[in-house]
Amino acid sequence: MISIHLRRKHLFYTLAILSSLIAAIVAGIDSFITYKMGIVYSVPKVPWLYGLSAFLVGVLITFVLCLIFSIPINGKSLGSRIIDPSFNRIRLVHKKELKYHVLAALGNSITTIGYFYVLSVFVDPSAILPFYQVVILYLLIVESVAEKNAPTLIETQSAVIVTFGAMLGSISLNGNINLEALAVMFLIVNPGWVLLSIYQRKLKLLKINKKPNDSLNIRFWNLVFTLIFTAMFVEIFDQIHGTFYLRESLNATINFFWWIMLSMGITFFSYIFYIRALGIGKASITQAVKASTIIFSIPVSLLLSNFIPVPIPVTPVLWLIKTIGITLVILGIISFALTEVKAFILIRASPGFKISYLLNEIWKIRGVDSVSVVSGKYDFVAKVRTRTLLKGYERIIRRLDKISGIKEFKWNSILKEWENI
Amino acid sequence: MIKAYILIRARIGKLDNILKETKKLKNVESIAVVAGDYDIIVKARVNDLEQLMKITDEIQSIDGIKQTTTQVIEKEISL
Repeated sequence: MISIHLRRKHLFYTLAILSSLIAAIVAGIDSFITYKMGIVYSVPKVPWLYGLSAFLVGVLITFVLCLIFSIPINGKSLGSRIIDPSFNRIRLVHKKELKYHVLAALGNSITTIGYFYVLSVFVDPSAILPFYQVVILYLLIVESVAEKNAPTLIETQSAVIVTFGAMLGSISLNGNINLEALAVMFLIVNPGWVLLSIYQRKLKLLKINKKPNDSLNIRFWNLVFTLIFTAMFVEIFDQIHGTFYLRESLNATINFFWWIMLSMGITFFSYIFYIRALGIGKASITQAVKASTIIFSIPVSLLLSNFIPVPIPVTPVLWLIKTIGITLVILGIISFALTEVKAFILIRASPGFKISYLLNEIWKIRGVDSVSVVSGKYDFVAKVRTRTLLKGYERIIRRLDKISGIKEFKWNSILKEWENI
Repeated sequence: MIKAYILIRARIGKLDNILKETKKLKNVESIAVVAGDYDIIVKARVNDLEQLMKITDEIQSIDGIKQTTTQVIEKEISL
């Protein structure tokens, strides 16, 4: 069980990298299934049929897995002992989760529809799909606008390095750049994924019945809502284009049920670890670490090439480009991991100032992760996070200095930290 | 539910032992080794003041503890 004292950072990277490893295996299985489907159905249809079937079977297998993980053992559920300590049992959606579930599912559905579109219209999308990695930059921008977590120069540099590395690592150079497909990637697929990541993170950070929300229920309900949205969008597409993808996907579900179940069953674990990582780190950093999927996808592709035609680099130049890409991804992830300074600031207030006023003033400072009103020697304990000590001085100390009502404060840099997660 | 920060000053050379013993305690939410006025900051989460007294008592009895200061959290805002 992972509720012992672990370093939070280690747990975050373990979860995100495990998620990427599983995602690479799933990508291999998906390639195999789509190849098999391509023999039965016409190739442009396959992404639509497979996408819908995946959500349909995904809901079923995820429900079954959640039921299994709900089994109580010595007062705790099996799921809380093995994969998520916050999980108790499968439950209905809580009222305060509903809005976030709808938005996350809408994002998932939009990104899936966009992906279907690119795959079905441009049969060889290998030159376009690498641009999916640009989503890391989207997330950085959204976080800087929506959250108090403005990215620092180092974060931005690392995200750019990981993004370009991931693009180089996943490009196969045998497709043509198509502006329409690029527009779909930049305006539909990537914003959809941003919506999904941001709102899944918000869901994970929610407290349900005074306890942290769990990743299993988040995943299950996301699939349910996504299935509804996707089915609606595909039905509209069918009506406009005179196709029968919705009905045909039911047929594909029956024909490929066990293969899709295998894929979605394994995907379940990838998402559980991803959602848990989202609850610990920022969405952009989680996504950057998850870009390590391209590293794991190489052995999977090599293995798969023994069974089905898989595009793998055949010339030394392509291998060199892939190696450069992977090196950039690793460097970017390491620079994310190693450049963070955290501290506790112990603050004393001057008499005559309202505690609620001072609390809000401290909370407004960028980089303040939490602030507590305490009784004892000090009046406030603030926990702060910054990329460098210089930024800590510029963004936090100077701002604290300017708040009238603060008598004194003591900076205590965190050298090492363990948390009970 | 009561939360509190327990600020610890350690004797020189005893940090490892204090960390080892603190990790064994129940109701500890986080432990941080810090550089500044204090050496370790422990965040505890207990059901009542009785339990808080018990945990501070347990920390104080660890070999190497020089001083503890308990700050009970009245209100908390976090991301």
